[in-house]
Amino acid sequence: MGGTDAPADTSHAHHAEPYRPVFVGERRRELDELLTRYPTKQAALLPALWMVQHDRGWVSEDGMAEVAEVLGITPAYVKGVVTFYTMYHQHPVGKHFIQVCTTSPCAVCGAEEVRDAFLRATGCEELGVTSPDGKYTVIEVECLGACGFATPVMINEEFLESVTPDKVPGILSQLK
Amino acid sequence: MAEAKMISLTIEGRAATVPEGTSILEAAKTVGVLIPHYCYHPGLPVAGVCRMCLVEVEKMPKLAPSCATSVAEGQVVHVHSPKALEARKGVLEMLLINHPLDCPICDQAGECELQDYTYQEGRAEGRLREPKRFNPVEDFGGDVMYVTNRCILCTRCVRFMDDVAHDAVLNVSERGDRALIGKFEGKDLTHPWAGNVIDLCPVGALLSKDSLNKFRSWEVDRSASICPGCSQGCNMTIETRDNMVVRLRPRANEAVNKYFLCDHGRLNYRWMNRQDRVDAPLVRQGATLATADWSAAIAEAAKLLGGQRAFVLASPNLSNEALFLLERVVRKTNGSGAFRVPQGEEAPLPGVKDLARRADQAANGRGAEIMGFARSDAPLAGLKAGDVLVVADEELAGLDASDVAKAGAIIVIGTTLPAWARHAATVVLPINNFTEEEGTFTNLRGRVQRFLQARSGPGFSRPSWFVLSDLLTAMGEPTNHMLASQAFAALAAAHPEFAGMSYDTLGLRGATVKGAEVTA
Amino acid sequence: MGYPHKPHDRETLVLSKHFGDREAITLDGWKKRGGYTALQKALGMEPAEIVNIVKDSGLRGRGGAGFPTGVKWSFMKPGDGKPHYLCCNADESEPGTFKDREIMRWTPHALVEGCAIGAYAIGAETAYIYIRGEFTEPIARMEAALKEAYAAGILGKNAMGSGKTVNVYVHRGAGAYICGEETALMNSIEGRRGNPRIKPPFPAVAGLFAQPTTINNVETLAAVPHILNNGADWYKKFGRPDNPKSTGTKLFSVCGNIARPGNYEVTLGFPFKDFLYDVCGGPLPGRKFRAIIPGGISVPIQTMDEAEASLMDYEGFMAQGTMLGSGGVIVVDDAQNLVKVIARAARFFAHESCAQCTQCREGTAWTTRILERIVAGEGTTEDLDTLLDIADNMTGKTICVLSDSCATPVISGIKKFRADFEALIKKTKAVQVPAVA
Repeated sequence: MGGTDAPADTSHAHHAEPYRPVFVGERRRELDELLTRYPTKQAALLPALWMVQHDRGWVSEDGMAEVAEVLGITPAYVKGVVTFYTMYHQHPVGKHFIQVCTTSPCAVCGAEEVRDAFLRATGCEELGVTSPDGKYTVIEVECLGACGFATPVMINEEFLESVTPDKVPGILSQLK
Repeated sequence: MAEAKMISLTIEGRAATVPEGTSILEAAKTVGVLIPHYCYHPGLPVAGVCRMCLVEVEKMPKLAPSCATSVAEGQVVHVHSPKALEARKGVLEMLLINHPLDCPICDQAGECELQDYTYQEGRAEGRLREPKRFNPVEDFGGDVMYVTNRCILCTRCVRFMDDVAHDAVLNVSERGDRALIGKFEGKDLTHPWAGNVIDLCPVGALLSKDSLNKFRSWEVDRSASICPGCSQGCNMTIETRDNMVVRLRPRANEAVNKYFLCDHGRLNYRWMNRQDRVDAPLVRQGATLATADWSAAIAEAAKLLGGQRAFVLASPNLSNEALFLLERVVRKTNGSGAFRVPQGEEAPLPGVKDLARRADQAANGRGAEIMGFARSDAPLAGLKAGDVLVVADEELAGLDASDVAKAGAIIVIGTTLPAWARHAATVVLPINNFTEEEGTFTNLRGRVQRFLQARSGPGFSRPSWFVLSDLLTAMGEPTNHMLASQAFAALAAAHPEFAGMSYDTLGLRGATVKGAEVTA
Repeated sequence: MGYPHKPHDRETLVLSKHFGDREAITLDGWKKRGGYTALQKALGMEPAEIVNIVKDSGLRGRGGAGFPTGVKWSFMKPGDGKPHYLCCNADESEPGTFKDREIMRWTPHALVEGCAIGAYAIGAETAYIYIRGEFTEPIARMEAALKEAYAAGILGKNAMGSGKTVNVYVHRGAGAYICGEETALMNSIEGRRGNPRIKPPFPAVAGLFAQPTTINNVETLAAVPHILNNGADWYKKFGRPDNPKSTGTKLFSVCGNIARPGNYEVTLGFPFKDFLYDVCGGPLPGRKFRAIIPGGISVPIQTMDEAEASLMDYEGFMAQGTMLGSGGVIVVDDAQNLVKVIARAARFFAHESCAQCTQCREGTAWTTRILERIVAGEGTTEDLDTLLDIADNMTGKTICVLSDSCATPVISGIKKFRADFEALIKKTKAVQVPAVA
């Protein structure tokens, strides 16, 4: 991720669609309502980034620039925040974003086998790599806060508990 | 202003008394104890993140970050106790585990605080057995490049851009040991004061592209000076190598520029090394200007001025001393004088009160005014037919040089010999530029500040005050200044605004002319 | 998904009484179970009276530090002309801990009520519940409960007709363990990186938006309505008689290699041995307990001797070389590679370090790399000395305790289970890795 490569608008132009702003119409009203909850505009940064990710699937540089614009902060500042929080996707991800908890409490309950089962069954093979069909991305996640129900797995916004390797094919077959 | 409550404490066995609210780190400075630190900088908000300035404070359970811990009455602070030294040794080792240890090819070597403190109190060897982290070098725009691998994440640069420049183009990206200083694509360090991040960086992570690989820090000579780029009068250090100016850096002055220097000021030095200098006195002999010795040239100039009205066109970049002596030439001949000030765009540093690159792009317009020169955009308008025109360090760039034709004679006192002067000058007296002589400037707020000689002038050129002192003597006004300080003493005696000032009292911080305090 | 276990006879159900009861999730259901009577009562009291009752009850912070809640509230001075804020810490990210999640999933109104009482008691008109981003279901439940509470006039400009303003909002995190640290959480609400702040100033002086702020854990706030309804004396009775410093019930999250993982609510001071073997069903078939981390992964590891001698309260765990922490009990049995468990814990902290303090940013990653090398069979005996030295450099020297937390399992692990490390090191091939730094 170099800052001095060719400008994004030329190097990626052949496959990048023009950016569609998120904060128009209903979204804009939603953001305005949100702003009434805080004494500063900047406080709406995390929620605003969630809206961008919800609507676009990830937070692109253009998305960061738009958020910066609507909240009156700089794009560099927004990027510093985005890169701090691991849940914001800085790249497009598979249609089903699969996060397997492998932190110690789950690791002692076999979470790594669950992770491997997802990697195999999705065809991703490697962590963080989207499957060839674009459907799946599997990552390891640090503690999902459901350690008693090992192994917890998050697929997009859905939270699954007590996942074992043998349940993995069934879980995948139910994904739309 | 209410008197601050004073707090007494002991630091490394020395008694210190400082105002309430002072940090232990600053209090230690007052008794000559330097507590090693990286992220702390007096011109920036406290971050407390490098953990290098940990000290042992009696009765406190943990080591205290001295930058973020206020003094308390009766506190006993140990800076070099085994516990504190051990902690700082630990920090140094951690800072170095992923550092490339490439001092031999690093511009910062020799002026690197990581190097200095490691030599002072670090481990001789690191214990990392794994490969080091690697990130590529990045161009941050402006004059700045970022060598990521050398970065210690002190965040001085980020805080400067956020809190002082009010242009948050830098950030800390990522977290954990993947963290680095980042920026947004297409948004560069283009702020007119952005170059300060280079000096603020305590290590070799942010470097000047302009001076990259040009010299090693131990090869340069350093002299205290004043930036001539505008009327702000930022204090700076001139660095020379082999008698060439190679780098300009800010010199701290709380009253003027804090710790900062604008990019224009820091990069505008090439003219100081100009090679097309006039380096010997010249006197006209028919169609040509012939080399003369100094006594002949001075005598010729004095002769021209005898009984004639002088019109002095002075540069507002001349020192107070030179302008004062020129004023005396004007008075002696019942003449007059004028100057003009080139204009640029004002560029403030918003986080510091009353600090900007000023529209007036000359160092000493205020001094010229005090010495009685008239400020004008058409400075030759006052030249009367038959006057002896004295052009002092003015190349007349942008003016109609043919205006000088109505002068009875022309004396050029300057560093260069422009084309018009080759044809029109009667006498040319070569002077030093401000890097080659000593003197003072008066900034826009009336602050009188000294600059020291940083290099020697070319050929037979002499300091401006010396040349003018000789000229006045030859004109029947015995002056005979042998030192710049004597010229300044004469100025202080003649101008009530400067009353009581001397080079000794000005020191390297300067003082404000009388009557100017209220406008500041 | 029903609640996973039937309550054990030896549990004392206060906070978890309605876990698994779908009806309790709704406002009507909650009211039928006595909900919002405490808030109604509180809004008719002076804030100082509420603070005193909570002080008397002996309630201590359930997030990990165990600071007395009433005392914390008393630092706030209602009527000082500044806006005050209450933050509810629902960032629950300490590995081994998953109790707040259950409170929010099953009894969201208990938390709304606790937040409203807390806000009123400290003179705040606004409370933010900061919920970690991964908790999609708890977030949805809390949002729904808040919507109901606003619609019913429980919250808002005229809370329960009292004429007082109480606003409660959910603020969603986005994946950062460190946002569970109180000042990092405030930075996160303010739209910043979740960097912990230097203290002083303390939150009660300058916290969220630089205004006086109190921050409490979910479980702490959820206990408050019960205390107001039943009185401080009622709450004080829970606990062992010989330790008045630890009162009330506590939710313990149990995970790892144990027969019945889950959340259990017992009175503070409960014997840990009984808890592990009786309440939670003991080890898995054919296995033995090997080590316990009783308060979330940040606290020192216990040997089984220490664990079995512990009483489950702040002082009881302290007496056995560890801490109550957040009450997240991680059980490791004899089938596990304990060094790998510690290495994985270190990796967690290296991933989560905010990158501010040198020792933490570099030390967590370095520690992880050494431990992973040992696990891979390439460690040396010197590595153990280096690890302990790094751990020492990481302890007590940084802005927050994430660095200490990474060092803790390393120090306690090497001290108490050195043989496990040495067994791996013995496998190391006799190849000397040259020093590069």
